Amino acid sequence: MEIQILGAGAFSSALVKLKPGEQLVSEAGAFFRGSSNVDIDVSTYAKSKKSGGLSAGLKRALAQESFFLSKYTCNDANDGEVGLAPKMQGEIAVIDCDGSSGWLCTGGSYLASTSGLEIDTQFQGLKGFLTGESLSFISVTGQGQLLVNAFGHINQIEVDGALTVDTGHVVAFQDTLDYKLGKAASSWLHSFLTSERVVLKFKGTGKIYLQGYNPDEFGHSLGPLLPYRK
Amino acid sequence: MQYEIKSRPSYSVVEVQLEPGEQIVTESGAMAWMNNNMRVSTSTRGGFFRGLKRKMLTKESFFQNTYEAESGTGLLGLVPGQPGDIVAYEMNGSELVLEKNAYLASSPGIECDAKFDGFRGLFNEGMFVLRTKGTGTLFFNAYGDIEEVQVNGSYIVDNGHAVAWEPSLEYKITKARKIRSFLFSDQLLLRFEGQGKLWVQSRNPSSLANWVYPFRLKQPKEKNSGSGIGGFGARIGRN
Repeated sequence: MEIQILGAGAFSSALVKLKPGEQLVSEAGAFFRGSSNVDIDVSTYAKSKKSGGLSAGLKRALAQESFFLSKYTCNDANDGEVGLAPKMQGEIAVIDCDGSSGWLCTGGSYLASTSGLEIDTQFQGLKGFLTGESLSFISVTGQGQLLVNAFGHINQIEVDGALTVDTGHVVAFQDTLDYKLGKAASSWLHSFLTSERVVLKFKGTGKIYLQGYNPDEFGHSLGPLLPYRK
Repeated sequence: MQYEIKSRPSYSVVEVQLEPGEQIVTESGAMAWMNNNMRVSTSTRGGFFRGLKRKMLTKESFFQNTYEAESGTGLLGLVPGQPGDIVAYEMNGSELVLEKNAYLASSPGIECDAKFDGFRGLFNEGMFVLRTKGTGTLFFNAYGDIEEVQVNGSYIVDNGHAVAWEPSLEYKITKARKIRSFLFSDQLLLRFEGQGKLWVQSRNPSSLANWVYPFRLKQPKEKNSGSGIGGFGARIGRN
């Protein structure tokens, strides 16, 4: 399987060449071009590890991110190709997962993965109801390549010790890192007044990918400019 | 005419240089800047009724402006309405089909005809296209990065992601096969058949519009406990 990133910059897309017998998985709806010998199978392929008491989170995930995955395979003896694009402006990164650790990826950042990687959705319990944010991670285990997309520029940081990151800027990180939801300021009221949001505090050693801009902040800046909803 | 496309593929702009007497035709609104040697005449090209037909059929006001350099070298900066890529395509008596919003500018020797391209495929869906023909340079653009595909047999493109194609390619509107989820049963795809070049774009303006849509605020209630709380309420009650 050959993965190429085209149009580096705001409008990156991935072009994946498939050989017969190979399989690619992507967020459903990411497909925008491809050879005619590729079958696209859309299903609820991802499984949820925790199912109880998460109907609110489930509704949020369904509303905000597609919970559905597409599987691509060639349906004849020829090579095929699949083009994938995110909805937002921004870069795409290819993460080589060598199996030495798993990865956690935010739902909106997951674009695609090779078939050697197993995709499980797990929902992080929401600790900041005031902000109305939902936080859902997709856990990726196994060996293969993981494609992630970002709103803006992608930054890769090697954490060795501790790092605090605004949740809207997290793209993906190795599960060797411990993470805890927290607030940036000393109290919830203070956080609210200073508009500091929910943060993730990372501890340990591992790689983390961050995105330059926060899509929720951008969306919330546009929302008040549009007509009200009923 | 000389031209240079800068800032590809994210914020493309075409800088055009014209010698006195040379002209370029553009979609109206495309001009971002020009020097004092340029003269503009808004015209519908081909007479009033031809322009009117374009406006009605393409659901947008497709009026073209013609720019001409007088007295000295003219400089002109042309930009599309949406950020993204621009492609310059040289034509020599040939034809090219454009998606209705992709046209940016062209040499005066290229004729543009907007039409509804008929119902294609089983689902009574049709597309508005611009058929161009002639000699000179044609500039087209899209929201996103534009890539060229050499079609040899058949190729599939999501509806909304096809920018331009050579008329040697036939196309049909179809739906994706093996769709098990009802959410995606109405994803329309274009199936191109034949030999020829096809240009695709890596983003879709309707996806952007759909993404922003849920961020709209709830209609505020008539009874309000106070403007101060109401202001905070807008921030709390995002969902």
